[in-house]
Amino acid sequence: MNRSEDRNEDVILREHEFDGIREYDQKLPNWWLFTFYIAIVLFVIGWVTYYQLPLRIKTDHEYLTAKLDVISKKKEAELESILSSLTDDSLREMSRDATHAAVGKSIFETKCSPCHGIDLSAQLNGMALPGVPLNDAEWKYGGRPLEIMSLITNGSPDPTKGMIAWKDQLGPSEIAQVVSYILSKQPQ
Amino acid sequence: MSALKKPNLISVTSINTDGSRYFIHPADVKGWFTFARRVFGVILMAIYVLLPWIPVGGHPAVFFDLLGRRFHFFGLMFLSEDLWIGFFLLTGLGFSLFYITSLFGRIWCGWACPYTVFLEHLYRRIERFLDGDAAQRRRLADSKPTTAKTIRAVIKHSLYLLVSVIIAHVFIAYFISIPRLYEYLQGNPSSHSKAFGVMLFLTGALYFSFSWFREQFCLILCPYGRIQSALTDEDTIIIGYDAGRGEPRGKVNDSSAGDCINCLRCVQVCPTGIDIRNGLQMECIGCAGCIDACNEIMEKTNRPRGLVRYDSLRGLAGLNTRFVRPRTILYSGMLCLGAAVMLLFLSGLRPAKLELIRMPGSPYYVDKTGVRNQFRLQLLTKKSEDTTFFVRALELPEGAVVSGLEEPLLLKPGEEANRTLIITVPVANYTREFKFAIQATVEPGGFVISDRAEFLGPSAYTLSPIKDSSTP
Repeated sequence: MNRSEDRNEDVILREHEFDGIREYDQKLPNWWLFTFYIAIVLFVIGWVTYYQLPLRIKTDHEYLTAKLDVISKKKEAELESILSSLTDDSLREMSRDATHAAVGKSIFETKCSPCHGIDLSAQLNGMALPGVPLNDAEWKYGGRPLEIMSLITNGSPDPTKGMIAWKDQLGPSEIAQVVSYILSKQPQ
Repeated sequence: MSALKKPNLISVTSINTDGSRYFIHPADVKGWFTFARRVFGVILMAIYVLLPWIPVGGHPAVFFDLLGRRFHFFGLMFLSEDLWIGFFLLTGLGFSLFYITSLFGRIWCGWACPYTVFLEHLYRRIERFLDGDAAQRRRLADSKPTTAKTIRAVIKHSLYLLVSVIIAHVFIAYFISIPRLYEYLQGNPSSHSKAFGVMLFLTGALYFSFSWFREQFCLILCPYGRIQSALTDEDTIIIGYDAGRGEPRGKVNDSSAGDCINCLRCVQVCPTGIDIRNGLQMECIGCAGCIDACNEIMEKTNRPRGLVRYDSLRGLAGLNTRFVRPRTILYSGMLCLGAAVMLLFLSGLRPAKLELIRMPGSPYYVDKTGVRNQFRLQLLTKKSEDTTFFVRALELPEGAVVSGLEEPLLLKPGEEANRTLIITVPVANYTREFKFAIQATVEPGGFVISDRAEFLGPSAYTLSPIKDSSTP
């Protein structure tokens, strides 16, 4: 198939020859070379802007860290403002508000009732559940609303009891609603 | 540049010796393959455009919902955590390509590749309509710049851009859905700058590819083209020239010559600028244009068709083509294996999920009630209606108390929820750590999903003091 007439006269062969083997000297497509040149230009632009000019362009890592910082600062500020607005009195006030207590009830029933009982008695069909009863106005670690709030947020001081810190699963306002539900269930 | 450039085996026709581009103007061709390819291409384009419009199960037939991180495929819904199924999809597509290529060469490139489909059946049609046939186009390209020529170019490129914009919008619709696309179209671009930017980039890329870059992509850039060249062998059906019948080339009336009359029709119609009579070449995208071109000439000169035809290298040499050979057996085996595994996983895919995760803190607790494990039950529904989970724990020892599953769990459409689940085994019943199952019947649907977890605890003998103290 490789007849000489099929060879293009335009094809350039290089000067050198070894044992009859010769080498073509074909040019790359110009568009291909252009991608190479543009890469060189982009390198120079990048090198100058990132390393030579005092522009302080953030790397992806710095950009993300800064963004995450802003988010966590915002969260902390939110927590701070909620906590500073919460007092024993305001939590007691919340517990008298039916809507707060209702939200607190639904959270309680998905997160807390498996240990403390659906009716806060720490009983299931007459059997004792692991948690302490919450409907008897008896408090192991202090019964002031803020103390209850802190216990839910950070967990039991006694790590062998199984009451975990709920701050990773519940936000401060949700915990406040759970507290108000528990308070609403206390014997008057 | 008036004479047609003569293709050779040593250099790419579309690149001149100085590296500049030699623009190929393929001549018109009529015939069975060209017609079938056009019909197939138009059907494919219709499918590309219509898929985002056809609703299946309340969602577009194919919808990569980037905002919702969901992927809808003909009624099936995949979440980002189902992404591993994509492994089987990709390997399946890969082996399908291997299989098809080992049997029929680059049939994908010529018939079904979206690049070829859009180029051949849309952009080249526009060019043919505006600038005339190959000879007219070549003359126009070589003519001196005039106002009329500029106006023609502006009209042609405006049409290219218009078509590119439309294709870019269709493409974006696959990711944001038609209603949102419509909403974006009416709004200010700055309110959805990312989608707008993607649209602009795509428009530019499509315009560049189809107005100027064309066959360069298939010849030099496309990795599938390169892989496919390595997958063919002497039994693969390719487009080839029957040299035994055609050579030596000669005049029509020369009885001593072969059937090829050296009319160069096959070269004129080739969109990648090769001479098929030089044999199988890496530039050939299998478009079958030369088959139709040659058949037309063969009929005019009263010779049998098929001097250029779909055949294997062995077939062209007068031998039998072997379709069943180790390569095709291996590829079809791999293809079937991959398809079977994917079907198996797809049939197990349910529109709800349940997972049992140990709570942070101690792995187990021991007190007067027994050995206790605390879990977080993670539930997820992909359904677009309220879903109820009837959850139960199985394979628990006698006396074990499960707390947290008394009520059926109700989830809103698409909701993800966490429940606390406490399992307590009384000391008297506790013998060792064990594995157990958690199972949920999901309504509506009535299907069952499950997960397994391990109940952890101390060695039973360390509990004997507690056992003793608990029995008075």
